[in-house]
Amino acid sequence: MRHALTLALLSLRHLSTGVWIIASLFVLSGVTLMFSIERSSDDLEMWVFSPEHEAMYTPMLQQMSEQAGGDIEGKNIELSLLSIPAIKSRMMSGFFGGLPTADMIEVERATVGQVFMGPPEAIGFRDITDRLKAEGLYDQINAPSLSPWSVNGHTYGLPHDVHPVMLAYRADLTEAAGIDLSLATTWDEFFTLLRPMMADKDADGRPDHYPLSMWVTQQDNIELLMLQGGGQLFDAKGIPTLDTQINAELLAEIVSWCAGDQRVATDIDEFSAGGHQARVDGEAIAYLCPDWMCSIWKMHVPGIAGKMKLMPLPAFTPGGRRTSVRGGTMLGFPKTSEEFDQAWDTAIELYTSPEIARVLYRKVDIISPIRSLWDDPVYGEPDPFFMDQPKGLMFIDLAPEIPIRSSSPYNYNAVLEIRDAAINMLNRSQDSSGEVSLSSLIEQAKRELERAQSAIERQMTRNAFTGVDSQ
Amino acid sequence: MSLRSPDRRVVFAWAAMTPFIVLFVVFMVYPLIQSAFLALNQTYGPETQIFVGTKNFELLIEDPVFWKAIRNTLIYTLGSLFIQLPLAFGLALVLNSRRLRGRSIYRLIFFSPQLMGLVFVSVLGALAFEKRAGLVNRTLAWITTDASLLEIDWLQSYIMPTLILISLWLYVGFNMIYFLAALQNVDNSLLEAAEIDGAGPLNRLQHVIIPSVRPVATFVVLLSMIGSLQLFELPYILLQGNGGPNNQGLTIVMYLYQNGFELGDLGYASAVGWALALMLIGLALIQIWMVRREEAMR
Repeated sequence: MRHALTLALLSLRHLSTGVWIIASLFVLSGVTLMFSIERSSDDLEMWVFSPEHEAMYTPMLQQMSEQAGGDIEGKNIELSLLSIPAIKSRMMSGFFGGLPTADMIEVERATVGQVFMGPPEAIGFRDITDRLKAEGLYDQINAPSLSPWSVNGHTYGLPHDVHPVMLAYRADLTEAAGIDLSLATTWDEFFTLLRPMMADKDADGRPDHYPLSMWVTQQDNIELLMLQGGGQLFDAKGIPTLDTQINAELLAEIVSWCAGDQRVATDIDEFSAGGHQARVDGEAIAYLCPDWMCSIWKMHVPGIAGKMKLMPLPAFTPGGRRTSVRGGTMLGFPKTSEEFDQAWDTAIELYTSPEIARVLYRKVDIISPIRSLWDDPVYGEPDPFFMDQPKGLMFIDLAPEIPIRSSSPYNYNAVLEIRDAAINMLNRSQDSSGEVSLSSLIEQAKRELERAQSAIERQMTRNAFTGVDSQ
Repeated sequence: MSLRSPDRRVVFAWAAMTPFIVLFVVFMVYPLIQSAFLALNQTYGPETQIFVGTKNFELLIEDPVFWKAIRNTLIYTLGSLFIQLPLAFGLALVLNSRRLRGRSIYRLIFFSPQLMGLVFVSVLGALAFEKRAGLVNRTLAWITTDASLLEIDWLQSYIMPTLILISLWLYVGFNMIYFLAALQNVDNSLLEAAEIDGAGPLNRLQHVIIPSVRPVATFVVLLSMIGSLQLFELPYILLQGNGGPNNQGLTIVMYLYQNGFELGDLGYASAVGWALALMLIGLALIQIWMVRREEAMR
């Protein structure tokens, strides 16, 4: 053995200079990495995905640090801006491997489902329900805003927002046409009022304006509308409920807006340059508008500034819900963090701070989920983009009415299934010429939703941790 | 004892091979064994596991989404083999012609998408095939003067043709280089002899050029087939992480990724991976058998 080792070492003499250079670099970089310290164990780390959030929190954290004499209870706070996919992969890798991540992580709704996919004990975030109740925060937070972050009555994240939805419309065009859209309380009334504006006055073979920007490929808008109409994709226990009568009726009605001779909706991309141009051109009169969408338009579509107005969503039935909800962010506290108390204090400072709430609204038009902050005068400020309407107060009036949402990890897949159902229904209706009856669409919707239900059930049955198999 | 002695040579050989063996065992053999083990488990990340035996494979066989992914991947593979490779060979033939001026510039132009990289090409492809503002629809509408063509939603309604078209742009030039290299090695004396014997261009192509480039063509076919069956980045970027409406753009590797890295079910993802591996092995064996049979017949 010793002889063989000696021979092996002697054979190293024959290695070329290049090999020695590579080997030296390997050793050198390894040693450098080993001794490089990324952050001190005294730091608190927070991950955010939004540059706006980073810009808001940085001065606040500095101020908090200065007030505490250079640090917060002996801790410095390191704020990291990461992309959503980066947060997702780092967070999940940490959770899967039981490894440290950050002390606080802001997570977007589409990302959080994966966290709830495994058994309850494997959820990587701390259950903050008792803490929220003990500190009286549970009652201060807009109740429906807790639902996407709660599983079986346990809350795993501090909600960052409410994201109620209103209808934004081109008031310059409706007023010029002598139409008072505020009279519309239901979708039927809304479309009836706007039908005259669909006339093809420029004779290009297409209506001059469609009443609504919405299409069957826009899964988030379909979910938003179904939630508004009282549809639910999962029950409170997380069991899929896609194939219900109410879901079929809602889906049929939504598809009917896009189908046949009576079509009233148009397909305008929400975030592309082409879509923004269509908004400027007035291709559609009205848009489904969560609070966060306002800042996107202000930034990317300044051409419609001062031409838009907001109103509550028309209801599906007289007296029905006049709002919905879309998107959302929570702040979670990974179980692996050893500094939970400090992280919690910092988070509460940030999330309940009137200054932060004001900046959040002024910069990105998002209203806080903390109800005690809703009295702040900032929300009553007239917004010139929306013809000086007090936009914040209008959203706040609707905030308690937003629908409860499921935290099921399969919600995203269920929404995609619903979108596919809507696309199939529309394709079928395009194959048949003439008017598309609502009753035939309802029958189609039932069949499509049964298919979607089985697809989701199949996915859930495969997950031995959900226990759906046994139910 | 010099290096020429058998003992030293054996020790040196092992010492030289050790880095490779270590890397091969750590990154190839161990993951292969581990993935076989994982395929028999339901997992939520690597730490949380439940042994489920062959259930993952049983579910896979009954899983319509998996079969849809296989169907899509095979359509793409067929598109690659029967559109992309003949086109690449045709381009190589044209660019091999000495009568063509500026051949180097054409070669660079056709190869340049490879220099940009797959992600960048995918992003550009998504922009080009965008509804209304996209270059493709604008060009079609301009040529036909039919404004309704602006409404073609390639990335919603024609996902597979769009993927094949974008991959043509990306890979035709790449495969062309292989064919071009093979064509430049075709024995000129054979071509001249054929010409003297009165063989026309088609006969020369069929009886001299194609047999000469057959080894390279076999290699390119195998490479394209394996690459096509492993298609991931292009649809992942174009369709923003999901399979598109009705999973029209879902490929086998995307389905593997969704299960393993988005849902955390490494067990099911491993089962998908093994199914893909078996497919690749099967196709490779068929190809080897076909080549050998052809050689035996000659």
